[in-house]
Amino acid sequence: MAEILSAHNVVKSYAIGDRALKIIDGLILSVAEGEFVSLVGPSGCGKTTLLMCLSGLLGLTEGSVKFEGKIFNATPPGLAVVFQDYSRSLLPWKNNLDNVLFGMRRVSGMDERQKRAKALELLDAVGLGGFDRHFPWQVSGGMQQRVAIARGIASQSRLLLLDEPLAAVDAQTRADMQDLLLELAARFRQTCLLVTHDVEEAVYMADRVLVLGPRPTKVVREIKVGLPRPRDQLSTREERAFLDARHEVLSLIRSMRKPKEAAVK
Amino acid sequence: MRHWSDKLRVPFSIGLVVLVWQTVYLLGIVSEKYFPSIVSVAQSFWAMIVSGDIPAADLKTFGRALVGLAGAGVLGIALAILSDLYPSFGKGFRYISDVVQPIPPAAFVPMAVFSLGLGIKLYAFVIILVTIWPPFLNGVAALQSVSGVQLNTGRMLGCSNRELLWQIKLPAAMPEIFAGLRYAATISLIAVIVSEMLAGRDGVGFMIFKKAFALRTADVFALMFVVAINGVMLNGLVNVLRRAIVGWHIGMMERSE
Repeated sequence: MAEILSAHNVVKSYAIGDRALKIIDGLILSVAEGEFVSLVGPSGCGKTTLLMCLSGLLGLTEGSVKFEGKIFNATPPGLAVVFQDYSRSLLPWKNNLDNVLFGMRRVSGMDERQKRAKALELLDAVGLGGFDRHFPWQVSGGMQQRVAIARGIASQSRLLLLDEPLAAVDAQTRADMQDLLLELAARFRQTCLLVTHDVEEAVYMADRVLVLGPRPTKVVREIKVGLPRPRDQLSTREERAFLDARHEVLSLIRSMRKPKEAAVK
Repeated sequence: MRHWSDKLRVPFSIGLVVLVWQTVYLLGIVSEKYFPSIVSVAQSFWAMIVSGDIPAADLKTFGRALVGLAGAGVLGIALAILSDLYPSFGKGFRYISDVVQPIPPAAFVPMAVFSLGLGIKLYAFVIILVTIWPPFLNGVAALQSVSGVQLNTGRMLGCSNRELLWQIKLPAAMPEIFAGLRYAATISLIAVIVSEMLAGRDGVGFMIFKKAFALRTADVFALMFVVAINGVMLNGLVNVLRRAIVGWHIGMMERSE
């Protein structure tokens, strides 16, 4: 399979006063087309910073990131980010349909009517048929994140970077949305890179889990998840392979905790 | 549906004002010469309506306040946008605003009479110079405080810096700009009345001054009532515009209550 995203020796540091605070140090990763990859790591290791760097929203201090083989310095077409903070990411002065249409602003080869039809189809696909005229603030948090996902796919993305997209929704909604994301990824041929702090979610969704080390972070282990698709909230989570992968990731992350912190907890 | 007590709020307020007014009048605390009964105020109001004095004067006063508000609003928003596009200009202009903003409209009038004479230029100068600040300052603050997630969303979807301004920052800033415009509406009216009083040859402010010197207190009170109506009308117009442009924000606020 072709490589869609690659990061080579990425370093990101911030200047704090006259000191440099290193967040990412020598990170290497590669995502193949059609894959679902999860990124997990200890809290505060710089997951969101990493995703910003991978999307072109944040400049690198050193190293390079390539999307479909090309280096970029702003988010390239074909790459979409779904942010954790959906209530801010959706534009409150646009209704749900117009928010999805806003995602299509760089899409060419479609006239306004075709774009509208496509946007309505996507809203339908995320289970929001009939909510196109509602404003984001008129629907629930889970529904808002569905609009944001539809907007990402509407941009004709091939790669979705998901920044803890389900962290702010309730547990029941989260399980539904996990399955929706998997279904959408398959249906619209999206390669997905999911950043999450939820280890079970990381394993449940992914073909591969990349475990990040503490700050300054880099990928310290890759775990292949040998689970069949389609996945199922009940049976998948009871499989040996799921439990093994979960155990491996969890024990690795626990081992990274600073001794002092571990003693307190 | 609105509660019945909401519907009664306006008549109740008016009733209360009339009651207090007449009580003060009947108790004779202030001489009748300086504090007429509400009946004679109403009579002089009606007389000046019928004679055409109020309509003629108010057409000018309301027109000046409205045009001044519109001009100051457009100019204030434009300057806020320029400040956002060119931060060094914005910084410099902030210093100017810090110095000019505290000067009351009355203080500008004598200076303006010397250089601009009595007329439209004087009004434009005074009104805009005092009315421009709320939309400008609110605009600058709001454009600066647009959420980083909204900006990243725009950037992620390929917006250039200019496109970010027009498609994300400005719409996001509009609710605060409208808060500034509501405030500016009142200031614009104050500036018009003061200018008309000090340097005018017509308008409600000029009439108030003339009637006050003639000790026609009932007329003065009736004209003050006219000024109040102008304020309500200006506010109403800003509100109509606000509902049309940032109705989404009103809906959002009502929902979060």
